Amino acid sequence: MLVIENCRLTWPDFTADYSMTVQTGALCAIVGPSGGGKTTLLHMIAGFETPESGELTLGGVDLLPLEPAKRPVAIVFQDHNLFPHLTAAQNVALGIRPSLRMSGGEGRLIDEMLEAVGLKGFGARKPGEMSGGQRQRVALARVLVSGRPLILLDEPFSSLDPGLRRDMVHLVGELRRRRPVTILMTIHTPEDVADLADQMVLVADGKVVASDTPSAILGGSLASVIAAATSNT
Amino acid sequence: MPRKLPHPGSLVAFAILALVAGGFIALAAVGGEKPALLSIGPYLWHVLAFSIIQATLSTILSLMLGVALALALARRRFRGRGTVLALLGTTMVIPTIVAVFAVFAVYGRSGWVAGILALLGWKDGFSIFGYPGILIAHVFLNGPFVARILLDSLSLVPAEHWRLASAFGFSPAHVFRHLDWPVLRGELPGLAGLVFLLCFKSFAIVLALGGGPSRSTLEVAIYEALKIDLDFGRAAWLSLIQLVICLSLTGILNWAFARPPTAHTIRGLIQRPDARNRSLKILDAVILTAAGLFVAPLALSLLSGLNNIPDVFDADLLRAFVTSMMIAVIAATIACLLAVALASAARRWRVALRSPRVAAFYDFLPNTLLAVPPFALTAGLYLIVRRFVDPSSAGLILLPLINGLAAIPFAYRSLAPRLLTAEERYGRVATSLGITGVAKLTIMDWPLLKRPFGAAFALAMALSFGDFGIIALFGGQELITLPYLLFERLGSYRLDEASAIGLVIVLVAFLLAHVSGRLSHAGD
Repeated sequence: MLVIENCRLTWPDFTADYSMTVQTGALCAIVGPSGGGKTTLLHMIAGFETPESGELTLGGVDLLPLEPAKRPVAIVFQDHNLFPHLTAAQNVALGIRPSLRMSGGEGRLIDEMLEAVGLKGFGARKPGEMSGGQRQRVALARVLVSGRPLILLDEPFSSLDPGLRRDMVHLVGELRRRRPVTILMTIHTPEDVADLADQMVLVADGKVVASDTPSAILGGSLASVIAAATSNT
Repeated sequence: MPRKLPHPGSLVAFAILALVAGGFIALAAVGGEKPALLSIGPYLWHVLAFSIIQATLSTILSLMLGVALALALARRRFRGRGTVLALLGTTMVIPTIVAVFAVFAVYGRSGWVAGILALLGWKDGFSIFGYPGILIAHVFLNGPFVARILLDSLSLVPAEHWRLASAFGFSPAHVFRHLDWPVLRGELPGLAGLVFLLCFKSFAIVLALGGGPSRSTLEVAIYEALKIDLDFGRAAWLSLIQLVICLSLTGILNWAFARPPTAHTIRGLIQRPDARNRSLKILDAVILTAAGLFVAPLALSLLSGLNNIPDVFDADLLRAFVTSMMIAVIAATIACLLAVALASAARRWRVALRSPRVAAFYDFLPNTLLAVPPFALTAGLYLIVRRFVDPSSAGLILLPLINGLAAIPFAYRSLAPRLLTAEERYGRVATSLGITGVAKLTIMDWPLLKRPFGAAFALAMALSFGDFGIIALFGGQELITLPYLLFERLGSYRLDEASAIGLVIVLVAFLLAHVSGRLSHAGD
């Protein structure tokens, strides 16, 4: 289980204070207005931001003393996930070893993961030769190949058109069935993940305002709050 | 149906090409015995070999200093870093003749290094003339410039890539391979070409520090053919050869620099994962100390003129200052107006007439001016204008004109992108309202253009104010600029006075560069 308790981060113009839990193997959708602290929450879990106080544990292991590379966490950003001078296969390989020296078995694993995200035969292509959706699929393949149990998706499909966005969300669902992982995903369109997510969290003004099942959140008293927040984005 | 007037930019392009062609034709057609290319062959090979060797060595050393300095500064945060970065950016406007003074002051026979060596008991000294002086001056001017350009490019690496590097646990070697090297690989060919071109065409530094006719670049050889031997035919041949070499290189540069714009996100305050590596901390300390020991004395030597300023305040200095300023203002006006006209024509071809190839010609034309040997062009134009004006006044006409033409590439680089932006933002509205011509320029373009115009104007002034090129042909009691006055004082080993004049030139050039920088970074 991922436990975040009173993790506080302070900047001159913004203060965040997070408390929430996510069950192991759950898909947790994080929604809320722009500038509300969704990305900061993911960056804190990944180790890019360090809280001044609080607790952050995964399966009972304290993550705070660990530097980003040592955390059991993999992340996909909205953009710039791939290194433009490397091929798709090499970009996936970074998830295993930054030196890119792969064994035969690891090479096969990369091919399998590319196939799993619908990119069979794309391994030799460079990011510049791929569409936005294909590039995000490569990034997904990389987080899967890394074998890390907690996956953070930071608005990974925001730049895609609605149809492609829904396809990608379903792909995440399928991949989750392939390997048991916990996923935290920030998203601007909660309805895209309503059927898929186990948990939905509303983050605003640097705080977790609500945390429940998607149906409870989207159909409850906070529905108008979420609608207002996501329509402003 | 009334005939449509050509676009002002087309007229300017035609005028520039006619001016350059006219100058060369006048030079080649001047009376007297015409030397065959073969008769200057051995001399030519000698000059060519020296030009290429010194430019190659200068380029390699400048890139080595620039790359090491850029990487060390990219990894480190320290107090005063902002000032160091600002100073790196200003070396581009340090006049070459001032760099010559700095080399004399630090490494010359009675310079600081010789003084330290004498204290240590080594009284033989060493000669700064030839390769040592030329390489030191070129690396002093170009190394920091390379570092600044590379630092800017390294800062465009997306924040997400640095976060991924942290998340994947990149070692310093991986950071270099996956983050730094792709940036360096993209920038270095173009930068190497640019530095090579600048050093290949070097004039003041080679003239003052070459140490004799055996060490001449083509530019110096052209100057000597014109000023000392009055051999116009030889000057024409040498100019043609220089033009071909530089144009080829400029063409390659243009091709190498023409790459898609780099996408980037806001970098913020992301710490590089390799900044914590202990070995790199030591390496960076060594690099920054070594670079500081190389650059700082040369830069500080300019401050030594502070005490001597009262001694040089006389009528000569005042006259030279006013002349330099006047020439700089006219040159900047020429550069900016012609650059706007060319950029406007390029925009018209690119957007309205949908012909990017013709637009590329207008983009390329300013760069070709970098390849034109200024002495040959000046001499050719002098042969034309002397029929109409008093020869002693010719310098006053040609100096601002040639300096203005030389500054067009820099002005164009500031102005052309803004004109395109104005078209993208308001072009359709202007077309729908029927706003064209001067009204379009004042209503639609000027609000976006005024700051880069001011920046380009100040930069062109700075480049012209410190220029020691054409003035070497016309300079004398009747026409004197500050750089020429400095050259005179250096020639008569009056280093104290030279230091004060050099300081005045640098202060004005830095002030103008600072204004330029402020304006170019200001919002609309």
